[in-house]
Amino acid sequence: MACISCKTKTKSIIERLFVMKNGQEKIDLLLECNADEQLKNVDWNKLNAAILNQLDEAKKYKASVRKHPIVFKIAAGVAAAAAVVFIAVMIKPQRPVDIKLGEGRTAMVEFIGSKGSASVAIIEPSDRAHAKVNIAGQSEKTANCCVQIIDSSTGQKEDVNRPSWFIICMSEYTNGNNGINRDAMDMLYLF
Amino acid sequence: MGEGQRTAKRDTEQLVKASQAGDRGAFDELVLLYQRCAMCAAVRILGNAEEAAETVQNGFVNAYLNIGKLKDAEQFEIWLLRIVTNAAISQARKAKRNAQKITIDDSLEDKKVLSPVESESSEELKEKIKQAMLKLSKKEAKAISLFGLEDLSHKKVAEIMGCSVEAVRWHVFRARQKLKVLLKDYL
Repeated sequence: MACISCKTKTKSIIERLFVMKNGQEKIDLLLECNADEQLKNVDWNKLNAAILNQLDEAKKYKASVRKHPIVFKIAAGVAAAAAVVFIAVMIKPQRPVDIKLGEGRTAMVEFIGSKGSASVAIIEPSDRAHAKVNIAGQSEKTANCCVQIIDSSTGQKEDVNRPSWFIICMSEYTNGNNGINRDAMDMLYLF
Repeated sequence: MGEGQRTAKRDTEQLVKASQAGDRGAFDELVLLYQRCAMCAAVRILGNAEEAAETVQNGFVNAYLNIGKLKDAEQFEIWLLRIVTNAAISQARKAKRNAQKITIDDSLEDKKVLSPVESESSEELKEKIKQAMLKLSKKEAKAISLFGLEDLSHKKVAEIMGCSVEAVRWHVFRARQKLKVLLKDYL
């Protein structure tokens, strides 16, 4: 199929094929034909006037920047500062604050102990609070864990006296590299 | 290099230096000298004269605002074409993103309006070429567009693109291969 972009399409292509330059291909001709068709109706004087008009606007802007450099610098500084604040707010990690029993949030705290049965106490539940773990009377050992406080009243509203649940998930990095120990080990305690 | 080209080059150099010194009239002359060349490059990338005109206008404004940064006045043409082609590619990609926002219902409505005669018009080819160009990488689109421009040597195309002549040829080859498949109905 010949180039349909030109009204005199077939003739145009055939004529062009005769003057095809070295290395030029049909696809080049098609692009050339389309570009020529597009440029055929361009009013160059109008385009020139439009460019010069835009340049006038740019010149005014340039002049005002030169005239009031401090104002522009302050404006740029304010904009930059606002952008920095915005970015800082956006990338701030979502950390739980002031966790209370029953809110179902998660906090990272250090806990003391090792694998085995334990009694757990939570002191001032928040992201900075400590979970005190006493493991079978052994000496205290430190490891990282994830403390999750679950709202036990969800779906159990008829029992208002139902206690909250407290879960400690052992970090896999602190708990061996293979077998069942690779998975986070959950310990569930009932207050 | 011909006498005419040497004179034009000298003129350009003087006009650039005058523009850098703040002579607005000199820059207007540069616009007159290079608007056609810039427009040809932009049309080849965008496949559309209206969008190309907008891109060329913005390109000249950009060049005017930054002419002080151009160290070698001789390189004005290369520098300007680099600005214009980059702007054209950005414009094409922006237009593509906007087009994707059109809902399916809208596009069906548009199809109803087209008559069989219109579908075989230059508008269709224009649109097909535009879409095909968007399937190329930035470098391929730039290379095939600039490669076909008259009076622009392969060396100059390489300078505009910031790569070797061999790399330009490779991008042109790849672009042709892709376009041949995408536009096979028109070849």
